[in-house]
Amino acid sequence: MSGDDDSSGWQLTESDPGVFSELLRTLGVPLVVDELWSMDPDGLAILQPISAFIFLFKYVAGSSDASGGAGGAFDPDFPGFFAHQTVNNACATLAVVNALGNIDTEMGKDIKDTLEFARELDPQSRGMVLVSSLFLREAHNALSPPSVISLDGLNLPKRTEDAYHFVVYLPVAGSLYELDGLKPHAVRHAPVPSSGDWTGVAAETIQARIATYPPGAIHFSLMAVRPDPLPMLQAQLVANPTDEVLLARMAQEEEKRQRWAFENALRKANHLPLIHALVGALAKSGGLDAAVAGAKEKMRQRRARGQDMDED
Amino acid sequence: MSAPTVAFKAGRLFRRGDTNWVDPQPEKGVVLVTATEDGLIQWQWKNRTTNALDEDLLIFPSDTTFSQVAQSAWGRTYVLAFSSSDQKHFDASSARDDQIVHNVNGVLQDASFEPTWSTPAASSSSAAAAGSSRDDTLRRLREILTRGGSASAAGLTVEPPSVALSDVLTPANLAPIFADEALARSLFPFLPADLPSPPTPATLQQVVSSPQFQAAVRELDRALSTGLLADLVRGLGLPASAGESAEAFIRAVAEQAGSGGEERMDTD
Repeated sequence: MSGDDDSSGWQLTESDPGVFSELLRTLGVPLVVDELWSMDPDGLAILQPISAFIFLFKYVAGSSDASGGAGGAFDPDFPGFFAHQTVNNACATLAVVNALGNIDTEMGKDIKDTLEFARELDPQSRGMVLVSSLFLREAHNALSPPSVISLDGLNLPKRTEDAYHFVVYLPVAGSLYELDGLKPHAVRHAPVPSSGDWTGVAAETIQARIATYPPGAIHFSLMAVRPDPLPMLQAQLVANPTDEVLLARMAQEEEKRQRWAFENALRKANHLPLIHALVGALAKSGGLDAAVAGAKEKMRQRRARGQDMDED
Repeated sequence: MSAPTVAFKAGRLFRRGDTNWVDPQPEKGVVLVTATEDGLIQWQWKNRTTNALDEDLLIFPSDTTFSQVAQSAWGRTYVLAFSSSDQKHFDASSARDDQIVHNVNGVLQDASFEPTWSTPAASSSSAAAAGSSRDDTLRRLREILTRGGSASAAGLTVEPPSVALSDVLTPANLAPIFADEALARSLFPFLPADLPSPPTPATLQQVVSSPQFQAAVRELDRALSTGLLADLVRGLGLPASAGESAEAFIRAVAEQAGSGGEERMDTD
């Protein structure tokens, strides 16, 4: 658990492809993020072209002094964009911006101006510019639950949660680079082919990294950042309206967007009115007494087993 | 004021005159242990009915320890003992709360201590106390009291929650409601406004099974266990007492539903 208590107004968010994709959309960037279940070439092929990988991990409780992840060489003369992470809760967004600073893509005016301004600075100052950036913080905070229930004059002690640590891998100037906001510099790994696929080199590097951690020491996830395939799929479908493969891929993408939109709506919502209404509906339907009796019994059993309710 | 590092519901015990007996008081309250900016520790007992801070102490780190007296007739009894003076404060916290003790002592040693709540209750001090007889209890209480001089011995009798909303609002319990068309439809206005498609009973099922909704219910349970939600529940058209516990909340909503008939409840 980090000792950094200063959240500077950045709320803790979930590390979820839907959250990242929505963040990118808010910033006016036509990229999406997908979760990866494997890094084998066939699995990646469907997602190509890929602009960057995000490797996120956290240490399992009790293994925080497990080491791992060393490899490559620090490059103090890194020609691309690299910013330090200065606020813990901002880590996910910081990783996204570190990626954006090195990907050739359209983006909204705010983030574009901020990146241009920050480019002139050193990594530490860049990090501070980013966390002081109001539009960025608002975009980030928009995806966490409103603090209606847990705060608001209650002075409820905050639950500290372990945040995932985010590391970006992408190609810059002919080499695979690792951008880790907690390291002093960008880290250069192997060279990548000047044209053609950089992802094979990245897959090897990331898999080698995973192998350096003691088994069970970390929880990790992998995500791929890539151009939004929807516009291209739509264009292709216009030309080939009955192409089965295209139709299937389109359906898959749309189903995913629906799911993300649903989950993001739930993330942003204040659920208190619904909770209130559900208890009332249970009462009206006559099912409340039985539900409460069952719940009390569960609580008794839990207490008898010596368990704590406060698990998450 | 910054947020408390540790907070827990508790009642107080006061010494009976000059005797070595302590009596529990009926007022419900909450102990708030807060780290101040200058690295000191603020120990407060807030009356949940009047919202008044009836006890407000500023403590230096390492000056005090929070330890269990032993099993007493009124639930678990703890004392906030001062090493540098004659002051004694009795706090009885109950249950779950080997964790509370651990965390409170952590803060009392060092104001910047961060509490941990993730592990199940350890068996240490309760196991030790388990064998105590009533005589032991009284003897220890007497020991502590004779060393004490302060008139305000505060004991906290914490009430653990009797029921959790997250056990009441399970998909299984709610399924019959969603199957009732009229009831289901009456719930649609309470769903998030920006869902990607118009709500159906299936949507209700999906929402209550979602990790986001379940996390919100758990958060409300946690908040209700502090008994401090009077303001929040008033905003829902409920009496202040509905904010005292999950059980009180449920009872108040049930009454509201009964009396209101088919009337729609206040939305936030």
